[in-house]
Amino acid sequence: MAVETLKFPGGPGPDPDMDMGQLLVAQQRRERLILAIKIAIVWVLLIIFLTLALLQFNFDPRYVFEHFNFVFLGLGTTIGVSLASVAFATILALLGAVARLSGNSIALGISGFYISIIRGTPLLIQIYIIYNGLPQIGTALINKGIPQGDLFILTAIQSGILALSLNYGAYMTEIFRAGIQSISGGQREAAESIGMNRTQILRRVILPQAVRVIIPDIANQFIAMQKDSALVSFMGIWEMTYRANRFARQDSKFMEMFVIAATLYWLLTIVSSWLEGRLERRMRHGYER
Amino acid sequence: MSANEIIRVQDLHKWFGMLHVLKGVSFSVAPKEVMVIVGRSGSGKSTLLRCLNFLEEPSSGTITIAGQSLNIVAGTRYDHNKAIAMRLNTGMVFQEFNLFPHMTALDNVIEGLVTVKKMPKEKAIPMGIKYLQKVGLEEKKDVHPIRLSGGQKQRVAIARALAMEPKVMLFDEPTSALDPELIGEVLDVMKQLAFEGTTMVIVTHEMGFACDVADRIIFVDKGYIVEDGPPDQIFGHPKDERTKLFLEPIRKVQQI
Repeated sequence: MAVETLKFPGGPGPDPDMDMGQLLVAQQRRERLILAIKIAIVWVLLIIFLTLALLQFNFDPRYVFEHFNFVFLGLGTTIGVSLASVAFATILALLGAVARLSGNSIALGISGFYISIIRGTPLLIQIYIIYNGLPQIGTALINKGIPQGDLFILTAIQSGILALSLNYGAYMTEIFRAGIQSISGGQREAAESIGMNRTQILRRVILPQAVRVIIPDIANQFIAMQKDSALVSFMGIWEMTYRANRFARQDSKFMEMFVIAATLYWLLTIVSSWLEGRLERRMRHGYER
Repeated sequence: MSANEIIRVQDLHKWFGMLHVLKGVSFSVAPKEVMVIVGRSGSGKSTLLRCLNFLEEPSSGTITIAGQSLNIVAGTRYDHNKAIAMRLNTGMVFQEFNLFPHMTALDNVIEGLVTVKKMPKEKAIPMGIKYLQKVGLEEKKDVHPIRLSGGQKQRVAIARALAMEPKVMLFDEPTSALDPELIGEVLDVMKQLAFEGTTMVIVTHEMGFACDVADRIIFVDKGYIVEDGPPDQIFGHPKDERTKLFLEPIRKVQQI
């Protein structure tokens, strides 16, 4: 059986006014470039101004140069802790979101309790409880003759990743939930109409589409995480904040050391934002005609 | 249920909150019959169709399709697994197509075969291509829905429903979201299906098409079936005053 889509005849050859379009596009591009250059000049001036201002007030640039490398060595730890935490948080958030949308009383109860307790307490307290509080339980268990108690005694890095994952997992649950709910009801209905069950619908239809929506948000959470990871310096993890703090206290060079750390965090987020923008553009590209 | 019925609906009620949308509807459809449901917007005709495959949960009543029957009593939980099993007897085509945007046309068509019927992919692909051929879109098999026109999308959606080899095809205003010049290609596919003896229940506003293709038309108004008969009767000599009022402006337009 032949069904043909209607075809319209082509236009009468190329548009003779093509030059005009190109002229307009070139002008727009030029104006955008000039604006960007002007903004860049303002940024450079602000940085010069801030640097000059600092140098007026007992700021030791030689100290900065000498200790820059020491702080810089913590960059890898900062990135590593953030990456590991955002990965675990993503898994937690996926489970949390599925639970929140499940309609199952146990799953709803657990996920609601988890989100409420994590969002209702400060991250710093959570870190203290996991790093300092849990070993107390572990020791008590070992004393009672349960050797598995040492599971509760975590290293600094493990505690840091656990705390950040649990914390971000709770906030990201809501992102995942919104992403899943942003997929139109029609998609679910179409999947139901060909006989799929709930799990199949989630796995084959809803999640592949929701992930597209969510990935930029996950990247944003990762950028936020890079800065919140500074909090794990309390456990003595040798990331950038801890390293900066060490010399700052020892030599009373607070401004110098924390300016180094701040600059490194700032550069890290600039690079991350740029990467995130590229990722977002690439994902959008795949969905366009 | 007699041998000459593939769908039987008895005393179907549907409530949305305190809104009584279907008020005890009963009808049956014979095998190979094409039944068109017409009515004003808000009359309950789409809800009626969607109750047939449990996309809307009926509030009470009995639905029997191809020998499988589900009796729903108001205020009690009903057997969801049975409802899901009964869905396989019906194929649904939606107003908004609802193709899966992350899959190619062919993957859309074979999704149910592979995921639900657990058919190996090598076997599902030739079947998928067969059904894409049936709607005239074999050459678009590797294209994602975003690159298809509205009419092409709807034809892929029809192929997706047909691939599950349902006993009955349900169409919920399949041309209402299409540009006028694209409606014809979808109606052509549906006419071909009717010609091949597919049992179909169609909600549509295309009265000309209904007149051509339908064996039977039911007119729904305010949750009741007001009139039930062949197209000649409904369009030529409607018995009920409400049917006359509904069709009057449409007949005037067609006379022009």
